[in-house]
Amino acid sequence: MDFAFGQLAVLGSSLVLLCGLTLLWRRGSAAHIGAFAAQSVALAATVGLIAGFTGSRELWIVAALFLGLKGIVMPILLKRMERRFGRPRELDPYVNTATSLVIGGLLVVLAYIVIWPILDVSRLPTRAGMPLAMGLIFVSLFVIISRKKALTQVIGFLALENGIALLAALGTYGIPFIVEVGVFLDALMGFLVMQIVIYRIQETFESIDVEQLNRLSQ
Amino acid sequence: MRLTYVALVGAPLAAALLAAVVRPYRSWVGTAGALLSTLSLAAGLRLAGQGLGGVPPTWGPSELMRVDALSALLAVCVTFVAALAAWLGPGLGRDEHYTPAQARRYRTFSSLFAFTMLIAVTANNVAVMWVAVEATTIASALLIPLHVSKASVEASWKYILIGSVGIALAFVGTVLGYFDYVHMAGERESALNWTSLMAAAPSMHPRVMALAFVFIVIGYGTKAGLAPMHTWLPDAHAEAPAPLSAMMSGVLLAVALYAIIRWKVVVGLTVGSTLPDRLLLVLGLASLAVAALSLIGQRQYKRLLAYSSIEHTGLMCVGLGLGPLGTFAALLHLVNHAVAKGMMFLLSGRILDRYHTTGMGEVSGLLRAMPVTGGLFAAGMLALAGLPPFGIFFSKFALLRAGFVTGHPWLMAVVLVLLLVAVIAMLAQINRMLYGALPEGIRVGESHRWGLVPLALCVVLLVAFGFGGFGALQSLLDRAVEVISR
Repeated sequence: MDFAFGQLAVLGSSLVLLCGLTLLWRRGSAAHIGAFAAQSVALAATVGLIAGFTGSRELWIVAALFLGLKGIVMPILLKRMERRFGRPRELDPYVNTATSLVIGGLLVVLAYIVIWPILDVSRLPTRAGMPLAMGLIFVSLFVIISRKKALTQVIGFLALENGIALLAALGTYGIPFIVEVGVFLDALMGFLVMQIVIYRIQETFESIDVEQLNRLSQ
Repeated sequence: MRLTYVALVGAPLAAALLAAVVRPYRSWVGTAGALLSTLSLAAGLRLAGQGLGGVPPTWGPSELMRVDALSALLAVCVTFVAALAAWLGPGLGRDEHYTPAQARRYRTFSSLFAFTMLIAVTANNVAVMWVAVEATTIASALLIPLHVSKASVEASWKYILIGSVGIALAFVGTVLGYFDYVHMAGERESALNWTSLMAAAPSMHPRVMALAFVFIVIGYGTKAGLAPMHTWLPDAHAEAPAPLSAMMSGVLLAVALYAIIRWKVVVGLTVGSTLPDRLLLVLGLASLAVAALSLIGQRQYKRLLAYSSIEHTGLMCVGLGLGPLGTFAALLHLVNHAVAKGMMFLLSGRILDRYHTTGMGEVSGLLRAMPVTGGLFAAGMLALAGLPPFGIFFSKFALLRAGFVTGHPWLMAVVLVLLLVAVIAMLAQINRMLYGALPEGIRVGESHRWGLVPLALCVVLLVAFGFGGFGALQSLLDRAVEVISR
């Protein structure tokens, strides 16, 4: 039972990471938003699995929040932003797709190197998924750094948050509930503020290509 | 005691709600907010006075909030600069540059900003501290483009993106710390309390905590403006309205540094002090170097002040890596810097209002146009450069001494050279601003004269710190160092 649970958790984590890697090889905001939505659903499912196995009511609530907020509400808001900009084509990223994927793979390897030595601290059946979560964190950072469009950077940031949530769920079956609520509030408010700033960028620059944001470089 | 704490954090929250609710905006809202910020400052001072002896007071379920000497020190700095920004900020019924809507936005978010910083420094739970630090970004990001322009929108985007990503990395570190704790001591509500972590630290896993600390330092270091994660800082500080710059530079950086300090104590107990100290020395030195080189040939006075913030944060970071003596110097420096930078950014706002430019080349004859503002600005520059009799001279001196005592003479030599470069770069251009011909069309004479009183008070404080004034500050610093170097 423990073994099957662990395997399922790793499977869920792999799906979450795979959606993150999708950000690297797909172009176009629609595909990115879809990948983020799918990732959030996979994350919610993984957390739900852990909730079911441990019988923790709080984790069920967390899973439901992930599904509702990140799986449904945020993708809808992102879609609305994308429609308003009316330019679905992704600009050439700083790093091309093939190289990006290679770097993404290397980052996952790096995550294994970083996390592997500390895994024996834990005896939870889910711990084998932790390197995948760390891999997603690294890959998301790379997405934020290497992509030019503000919308893509926001999606990269949301994926980074998913990676951290996954890490906490796998490593410790979630963080204390009161903290979880605070983190959710922050994530939501942060997202809304980013949205406002992006709309401002669009109004003042008439584009959301951050390459144009180079007035302040001294 | 409980009532004092409620006043400390409740007053700015009340000010924010008041400003958000009263529509249309009235100038009495600003006055009320300023009075509330003063109440918060008084509460902070009272807590600092009471926190000097005995067990630190705690509040809330499973000791969620806790005020020890270090928290009290930071709380006093935050409330002091917040009060300055509230009394001298827009929305008091005398500004021609701000619409009522802008004034309301300023009042709401700057008070929220102060509130989140106060929660961050008084939270016992390190995850609550994290939530509060993240909230500081949210509260302040929308204030940077108070005057919408391409530059301010760009600065705001850089700030919120880089800041949020950095803080997210700090959360990875927090999760790793929790991961280690839970597998050793089991799950419980108070697991993320700093006091619980401290108690458990000696038996936690060095490998996990070392990894956690790297994430923590990079994460909060981004927010503290440490190089190489500092890229958002000069833009945000230069483009934000002056009172917000004062709060960001004077105390936000210090709050981020505070978060690093809290974790450093825990990690130090687990892995020994060598690794954390080295990490802080390297980052501090890198920040000093980046700041010193960027200060050379800087043409805008607000950016000059912003790079100077990186310089001073880097210096504090070096101090924190030099044992108890260095920690004392770093905390003394933190207090001095909060007062000096808060004052300087507010003065830069007055200069900007008069000259309508941030270019140092276009500002001249400052002493003729605004004698008091110019004089205070010069005094502040000298204080930041670290000349006697100002307090920063003594904190720098104490820091260098700590370096020599702990056996880092070469490191201190490098620090000294970088500091000299920074001083020369800063003072090289101040003469041209102060003297010279008055540009055409610039009005002569001070405006809002009463607003100079609090700023002059800052200079008095800086000199008093220099003469070792205030035994209370001294003992508060001593207690804070005790908290850190247990």
